[in-house]
Amino acid sequence: MKAAKHTATEEKPAQKKGGVIIHIKGLKKSFGEKDVLKNINLDVHKGENVVVLGRSGSGKSVTIQCIVGQTYPDEGELTVFDEDVASLTERQLREMRTRIGFLFQGAALYDSMTVRENMEFPLTRVLKLKDRAEIDRRVEEMLDNVGLLDAIDKMPSDLSGGMRKRAGLARTLIVQPEIMLYDEPTTGLDPATSREISKLILDMQKKYKTTSLIITHDMDCARITSDRVVIMHEGEYIAEGTFDELKNANDDLICSFF
Amino acid sequence: MAEQAAPAWKRVLEESGDQVIFLKGFFRNMFRGGFEWSEFVRQCYEIGYKSFTLVGTTAFIMGLVLALQLRPTLVDFGAESMLPRTLAVSIVREIGPVITAIICAGKIGSGIGAELGSMKVTEQIDAMDISGANPMQYLVVTRILATTLMVPLLTLLGDVLGLIGGFLATNISGNVSATLYFNKCIASIGFVDFVPAFIKTIFFGFVIGFIGCYKGYNSNRGTESVGLSANSAVVAASLWIFVIDAIVVQISNILLY
Repeated sequence: MKAAKHTATEEKPAQKKGGVIIHIKGLKKSFGEKDVLKNINLDVHKGENVVVLGRSGSGKSVTIQCIVGQTYPDEGELTVFDEDVASLTERQLREMRTRIGFLFQGAALYDSMTVRENMEFPLTRVLKLKDRAEIDRRVEEMLDNVGLLDAIDKMPSDLSGGMRKRAGLARTLIVQPEIMLYDEPTTGLDPATSREISKLILDMQKKYKTTSLIITHDMDCARITSDRVVIMHEGEYIAEGTFDELKNANDDLICSFF
Repeated sequence: MAEQAAPAWKRVLEESGDQVIFLKGFFRNMFRGGFEWSEFVRQCYEIGYKSFTLVGTTAFIMGLVLALQLRPTLVDFGAESMLPRTLAVSIVREIGPVITAIICAGKIGSGIGAELGSMKVTEQIDAMDISGANPMQYLVVTRILATTLMVPLLTLLGDVLGLIGGFLATNISGNVSATLYFNKCIASIGFVDFVPAFIKTIFFGFVIGFIGCYKGYNSNRGTESVGLSANSAVVAASLWIFVIDAIVVQISNILLY
């Protein structure tokens, strides 16, 4: 079954925020016989929060892996900051990645380092900061933002799931990326902590004025964080609009996501 | 049958190709600016210092047992005085380097394979890569260089402790002074005994680090692959140690004798 394209509004308020920062057109990707992405089209505008909703295995994560050049599409256009990701050299790709933050599902904290060392890692390796006082100031400020200043010298194994997510978010935001990609940011958390993380994502987005692409199947997270929601089903985007527009859509397939 | 054999050969060829690419990545990142000195020193400590007790104890016992085993045969031939020389040459040339390398393959190779494998599975390496940092430079170059430096040093220490073990065994049933024993040992070791043996330990160290990093870095997703990475790192490194040993011994025999 294929649902009709639901273009909820002709005018999408969120798209007024700025120029296109991520442009995806006709994106296709297969793994062996399985077509994971079939003709994906999406423009993300500067300053907006786009949530991609979809069931597990629908190709959401592959889309953001393509955006950061972790995997390459078989067909289609994909430009980030007006640069074709597939044609970048290794050095250019690394430079582009310094402008993008990626929060992994499991936070991916470096478990041989303390929280402080996790925060310092991108500052010293990516931004190449050398001034000790400046590094300390940034680490403490960012941990304070996410409410983890008390855990600064703890190891990741000593943190709860919610604290790990907050630490992961802080580590990603500490280099002040222009785009934030979130891969299932609230998976595995209880509802209260999920809401807390979702609000934190929104607060950080406002504070640091990032553009966000959030992959999730958590409705609360989508409702709290989204300017625009895109629904993905079996490798295709089947609908887009604001959260409320899609929630009230007259389409069984779209309604089944809410 | 031919159809069944083909994928295995294909996998071997693919893995060989991947290893060459990984090796090229190692050398390219080694000479790139921004060497991770602090991580390199930390790895030297983890690999060298923390392996010293195991390597030292094993080498000491190995020297002791070797002397106990050799002595009755040498006594039968009236060549008991040859014991220090026989011990020194066998430990320095062959037993010391190979046993130390095999122990290091088990302890260090599996450790690196499991550590990087677990970092891969929990997306830590991907996180490092996507953040714009260079995981090859931080994780791989430092570990391979640390094993390349520390395995030869551990072998030297193992050789000394093996000879001390031999001295203890010699004195269990005989009476040889330490000065005489060690003078005889040192006098019997020449350039052709020491240098090729030392050079091969550098290759052993490199192979242990390289295989451990390669297996860990290329772990498939899933916790099972962490164990497989550690296991295959030990198996492959051990095999390579014997292959390198055979090649170096053959080359040194041709060049030096």
